[in-house]
Amino acid sequence: MIRLIDINKTYSLRPVLKDINLDLGVGEIFVLFGHNGAGKTTLLKIVSGIMSPTRGRVEGLEKEPICNRIFYLGHNNGLYSELTVLENVRFFQRLFSGGNGDNTIIKKNLSEFGLWQRRNDRVRSLSQGMKRRLALMKTLICDSGFIVLDEPFTGLDLRWKDTIVEKILSLRQRGTTVLITTHLVEEGLRLADRVGFLEEGKLTLIRKRTEIDELQIREMLKGEVCS
Amino acid sequence: MRFAANIFLVVKKDLLLELRGKEALSIMIFLSLLLLVVFNLAVDINRDNVSELVSGILWVIFAFSGILGMGKTSLSERDDDAYLNVVFSSVSMESFFFAKVLSNLLFLMIMELFTIVFFVVLFDYERLFSALPGLSIPLLLGSFGFSVVGTLFSFLSTGSRFGEIILPLLFLPLVVPVLIGGVSSTDIILNGSAGDTPGKWLKILLVFDMLYLSISLILFRYLVEE
Repeated sequence: MIRLIDINKTYSLRPVLKDINLDLGVGEIFVLFGHNGAGKTTLLKIVSGIMSPTRGRVEGLEKEPICNRIFYLGHNNGLYSELTVLENVRFFQRLFSGGNGDNTIIKKNLSEFGLWQRRNDRVRSLSQGMKRRLALMKTLICDSGFIVLDEPFTGLDLRWKDTIVEKILSLRQRGTTVLITTHLVEEGLRLADRVGFLEEGKLTLIRKRTEIDELQIREMLKGEVCS
Repeated sequence: MRFAANIFLVVKKDLLLELRGKEALSIMIFLSLLLLVVFNLAVDINRDNVSELVSGILWVIFAFSGILGMGKTSLSERDDDAYLNVVFSSVSMESFFFAKVLSNLLFLMIMELFTIVFFVVLFDYERLFSALPGLSIPLLLGSFGFSVVGTLFSFLSTGSRFGEIILPLLFLPLVVPVLIGGVSSTDIILNGSAGDTPGKWLKILLVFDMLYLSISLILFRYLVEE
């Protein structure tokens, strides 16, 4: 279990996160909604260990080493634009597994994400959606027990959104805990075991998926916009 | 064994990126040529005074050209947050830092070789070629010091809004001992000096290299955190 205890974050005296408390169970998919500037990305970075909270702590993920136990995909894709798709994947696989990447597995994964035909193209020549698919592919194939995704559907068309939803849902079977932020209510609710709503740095709502419907989330998102 | 394999993996990737992008090396070599031309115009360098000026000119060029290249190799990691792959992998921050130092060292040494060739051609000073085996030790030790400090601060500065201004401001004062050691040992090797050997300066370079490396290995982990 991953436990967030009294997480507070302040940027230049401006509080961004206020007393966040949250437990994430093994194999749970938790989807976090919220307006722009509500503090979702900051919270995800703190949970991932790449940013320190001003106060509070994250339990269940001892910081040393965080390697191979957690993976964070932020707004950026974490790709080397001058390397080809295949070179990026191989580099990533070697970082995580140590050995040479299995070509059959690489081919299977790239095909599933619609990138096999573009394997020898440099990443900078790919569309935004393709780059995002590649980033999601490397995130979802690593064996981390905890995956943190910040707006994973950015740039994806309808077909690929569905595929990525299926891929994320399949993580539940291997016991991977997933924390996601998204503005896409439909996709978010398809994924969620539980839903949270972050408003001006405060976690104002935590509900099981079955206890909330799409309309309620949409109403909350249409509500008062953060200043 | 895993430590060495991880270092090799990152260095190989950096070389591939450099071969494709040609950003770090080309900009370093171009600046070194440009600085040599500026020195040639600003200082009256002739056969009589070239041996007195060579070590100072070379090390100033190495320092300034080096900063540019090191900024570029860190940028490739910061760009698109690619370094986060390493943070979340099983590769230790120490091996990642060491790999980046070695990549920068390699690029620095290549730039230095080009600079030496340019210098010989521009100023007709062939003594540099014949002294190259002896010069290789201060060049290696000095470049290693540059590379360690440069790698650390280029990672810090590329994450900052004023990165390109901050990097030389942090880098240059800190590498003064390396510059002094490099200039002095190069001068002794090229011109000789009664009763003086480069050994003392090489020891100073070695001590500072180890000092920089120890401190940087500790600090690097904190730089990666936002």
